[in-house]
Amino acid sequence: MTAKDVRLELLKIPWFQEQKPGHVTKIAGISHLRHYKTGEVFFREGDRQDYFYIVLDGRVALDIFIPHRGKVRIYTAEQWDVFGWSSVSPSVRTRTAGAVGVMDGTVVGIDAQELIGLCDQDPGLGYRVMTRLAHVIASRLMVTRLQLLDMFAEPPAGKNVGE
Amino acid sequence: MTVPLSMPNAGGGSAGYASKLLLPHWADIVKIIPEAEGVTTYHLRLTDPEVQARYRFQPGQFNMLYVPGYGEAAISMSSDLESNPGLVVHTIRHVGNVTKAISRMKVGDVVGLRGPFGTAWPLEQIRGKDVVIACGGIGLPPLRGALYHILRQRADYGKVTLLYGARTPKDLMYPDEYETWKQADIDVQVTVDRGDETWNGRIGVVPMWFYHFRVDPRKTAVLTCGPEIMMRFVIYEALARRIPTSQIFVSLERNMKCGQGACGHCQQGPFFICKDGPVFPFSAIESIFNVEEY
Repeated sequence: MTAKDVRLELLKIPWFQEQKPGHVTKIAGISHLRHYKTGEVFFREGDRQDYFYIVLDGRVALDIFIPHRGKVRIYTAEQWDVFGWSSVSPSVRTRTAGAVGVMDGTVVGIDAQELIGLCDQDPGLGYRVMTRLAHVIASRLMVTRLQLLDMFAEPPAGKNVGE
Repeated sequence: MTVPLSMPNAGGGSAGYASKLLLPHWADIVKIIPEAEGVTTYHLRLTDPEVQARYRFQPGQFNMLYVPGYGEAAISMSSDLESNPGLVVHTIRHVGNVTKAISRMKVGDVVGLRGPFGTAWPLEQIRGKDVVIACGGIGLPPLRGALYHILRQRADYGKVTLLYGARTPKDLMYPDEYETWKQADIDVQVTVDRGDETWNGRIGVVPMWFYHFRVDPRKTAVLTCGPEIMMRFVIYEALARRIPTSQIFVSLERNMKCGQGACGHCQQGPFFICKDGPVFPFSAIESIFNVEEY
């Protein structure tokens, strides 16, 4: 799989279609394609950060291990979703969740340290990448908030919402 | 308009009409289907055949179900007349005194029934459009009748997408029907808030699934029902895609009592949810939706 092949795959992703061709080529140069099977583990909690991923197809679940409860799946990433994005963070050093394929598919893996280097060298690229990651984080925060609210839980006693 | 069951055939004046609307008819429980923990579907048949014969409703409307000694609860119909001729189907979450009393009932027991009340999903108005049905938890039952209607007249509607979310996989309503809906060209997207290692389906929340498909705002209608916090974010996502407020339809739940806009228990701003709703175009309620302490 050459950088040219990866570039073609990246250009299927709507966000990349809006980027400068030179930026896409640079990112393709630090990326690889990975086909995976259901049950295949991308990383586990505590692993060293190296790549972050964009799902091209299939489904990947993020899970966190809770003592006495086992692994709890907290999110699934599907087409065009990003996972492992905290590897681009300057402070997070190890994985805070695990990732496992739950439906066969393909992802693009992007070397996080190389990407940070590209962003440092080219602030225009850096701005675009970080703006995108901010959007990803904001949407993930929205999902987490709604999950935290436990909106489908039984209403507390005394709240007159059902007879 | 669907005429409530207790409407007199003649005379009585407005006071007589109102009082008759407050009288329940008896209905036999003919079938009970456990759906999920704390949620059950009841098939009811009105005891008086004449009353049953003239009983009509539209998907989205609700009945007041009455249990002597406990009171009444407003419950939406969870099917339509064509799918269950001669029956009134309700899917009930047992969270209050009345609904918990119903949970202890058996086939052959009777409940009181008044209705139908309220507005329905605008199935004629949205004919020809793409339809996004976004619902969560116990918000699917009030939309199932609308879904059945669309299924029967599938060619009259464009692309139809069902976005349905629940707390966990075991809380999903009607899972045995999803395959049938998919085969009828309904794009069924199911997600849960949390799953264990055996769940290979989606985990996330309903509003985020708007990210995964494109809508044409000129020809799309959204029908939403579920927790209001979920509907709020569904509306945000629909508006972000420039779907007009007049094409977003919301089903509100309030403390309905009389069912005819007389007692004021369900009043919100200028509206009586029981009479002017429960289904509203978002354009009508925009000013009172998402207002604190309402």
